[in-house]
Amino acid sequence: MKLDIVKNKIWFLCLSAILLAPGIGAMIYSSITYPTHTPLKVGIDYTGGTTLQYGVNTAAPNEKIGELREKLAANGVDNPYLQVINVSADNQKEGLKSIISIRTKFIEEGSDVTDKITKVMNEEYNSADLMQVSSVGATLGSELFKNAVIALSLAILGIIFYLTMRFQFDYALAAILGLVHDVLFILGVFSIMGLVWDVQIDGLFITALLTVIGFSVHDTIVVFDRVRENLKYYSKKMSFGEIVNFSIHQTLARSINTSLTTVLTLLALYLFGGVTTRDFVLAMMLGIIIGTYSSIFFCASLVDMWREGAKKKQAA
Amino acid sequence: MKNKVKLFWFIVLVVITAMYFIITRPTKLGLDLVGGSRLVLEAQTTQTMPVITQDMMNSLQFAIENRVNKLGVAETVVQRQGDKRLVVEIPDVTDLDKAKQFIGETAELEFKKLAMVNGKMDWVSTGLTGKDLNKAMVSSNPNNGEWVVSLDFNNEGAKKFADLTRELIGKQMAIFFNGELQSAPNVNETITGGHAQITGGGKAGFAYEEAKQMVDLLNAGALPVPAKIIEENTVGPTLGADSIARSKLAGIIGIGLVMLFMIAYYRLPGLIANIALCIYGVILFALFKIIPVTLTLAGIAGFILSIGMAVDANILIFERTKEELKAGRTLFTAINSGFDRAFTSIFDSNVTTIISCVILYTLGTSIVKGFALTLALGVAVSMFTAITVTRNFMHLIFGTGDLTHPEWFGLKKSDIGDSYKAVETKREKAKFGILD
Repeated sequence: MKLDIVKNKIWFLCLSAILLAPGIGAMIYSSITYPTHTPLKVGIDYTGGTTLQYGVNTAAPNEKIGELREKLAANGVDNPYLQVINVSADNQKEGLKSIISIRTKFIEEGSDVTDKITKVMNEEYNSADLMQVSSVGATLGSELFKNAVIALSLAILGIIFYLTMRFQFDYALAAILGLVHDVLFILGVFSIMGLVWDVQIDGLFITALLTVIGFSVHDTIVVFDRVRENLKYYSKKMSFGEIVNFSIHQTLARSINTSLTTVLTLLALYLFGGVTTRDFVLAMMLGIIIGTYSSIFFCASLVDMWREGAKKKQAA
Repeated sequence: MKNKVKLFWFIVLVVITAMYFIITRPTKLGLDLVGGSRLVLEAQTTQTMPVITQDMMNSLQFAIENRVNKLGVAETVVQRQGDKRLVVEIPDVTDLDKAKQFIGETAELEFKKLAMVNGKMDWVSTGLTGKDLNKAMVSSNPNNGEWVVSLDFNNEGAKKFADLTRELIGKQMAIFFNGELQSAPNVNETITGGHAQITGGGKAGFAYEEAKQMVDLLNAGALPVPAKIIEENTVGPTLGADSIARSKLAGIIGIGLVMLFMIAYYRLPGLIANIALCIYGVILFALFKIIPVTLTLAGIAGFILSIGMAVDANILIFERTKEELKAGRTLFTAINSGFDRAFTSIFDSNVTTIISCVILYTLGTSIVKGFALTLALGVAVSMFTAITVTRNFMHLIFGTGDLTHPEWFGLKKSDIGDSYKAVETKREKAKFGILD
């Protein structure tokens, strides 16, 4: 009844391809069609946007912000950044107590978005006075991206070096391909979500990706460690493929339990946590699941395939 | 046994120390989680610069960002607003007055000489300014112990300074900072080598803070145009206070579920792991306060991942211990080999994580840095709690006797000896994963 992973490795590699293909397609399509030419739909953190500031004559409690957020969303204002500015005592004039700052994507001239927002604000806060409309620049520039990519590439080199030293080069390469596999999957899913549900990525998304990368490598190493240990004792009695299979089955309970505990926490955050971090949590959760999948089915299959290929070459 | 008791008390001591720091030190949370101050700066036109161009605004933004970073606070936001305004948001933890001084100063350093202007002697510019500096440092005058600001010119600046001092031998040269005369020493000889010092204007010289601020400002660079703070308010968290309150609760529910799962699946060891996890949380939180780390959501993500890895370490160990028990080993040996055999995978995965974190922290910016720092700290602490603490508690509770209650490990009597035949591992070798 035990699943023979090594024997069916071609199928698992195909499954990975099937999982990744739509996302990669969506990213290519997005890069061509979006005006920003990015593979994912980027939010106002990157593009900049419009900030509307409303003065209200009551102290605006933070709890009410949630209500406002829902109302704005119902009126078609996507992912607004809402912030309460408490006016300091010496700046208070004519009963002005707080300023509600609404940051959203660029509002074009002649569009009715401003009126819609003003209407919602008036419903929520009796009298809201639109004090200022201004365009704001990006808080996350392309510098940050370039920098992150360089840092990440060097980190990957560091990982390859360490794993080659502790394991072998093909293990290191498989672990990194597993990481690429997981990152591509998440990017793909969010690219599709951008096309279908208009989901935008923000600074938090980068954080989520970093988390996924960290988990992916960690999980793969645990499986490889078992292979390394078993190789030591059984390499004369069993083939490499058999040892890989055996090792995966031995670590299966652990792999599932670890993902389960992490996904449990994230699921709680997803279901009960704040709206502003929902996509962030979703990205991490999907990342943990795909990371577990790839370390069991993808990375080990790769190493086995390479070893088999090398053996055949030797024989021939 | 004695050593185990000693180790136990050591752990207790660490926890108490950590608790002390948690109670006495403030928690530093970023702009996204608690909000902070919001300053609006407006670029001012001057006689020499009647129009504010976009280029000027870009370099103003760059200069302000540079200065805010010098404050050593993570996660400040500098943003353009309209044509000639900048919005600077600084987390609550920052000393606002200091921040304001820092942001508002133009930080213009000028060397001047006396010359006839409209029939009067007056100080005129020499062309040597703060732009010609390589860096500035606080140092003390060896003769009288006063604080002075040491200047280190770049190549061009050194040449200008040498030319200037040659020209002014026997005359006075003045150093102006933000339009204020700092000192006007007599030049005795040509100074080559590109070093100079500013001594304080008053009799007692600079106060240390005064010198330090000047140095920081000089190193951060002058503002291309003067800017004035025209608005100052406090702001709520950028992630929305409503969201944060809900996420806090959700996080507690999540961790509660994990703890329940650990007890349900791993029984008594699961409970021990939960206690170790609490100790982990206490130590890490204390570290965040001691260092101090300004926690943002990115930092919390790193923290969550490190919790996952800490729990994973214990899961690895317990799975191994269970396997060893099933293979018919005695309780003591099973626990020990469970730890030893799980150690290689915990060690390798943690070292990999720490290597990547160090690289990300050194090279990354804001978000990436915050994430890498908390993750690396978390992993380092989990090496202690998930291994040393759990192991110590396991030995203290289970002792060296036989396994009388397999159900403590979530095993049935019939499971014992029912597994594959375990191979004897040499402990020293297993520990470091050396292959024969």
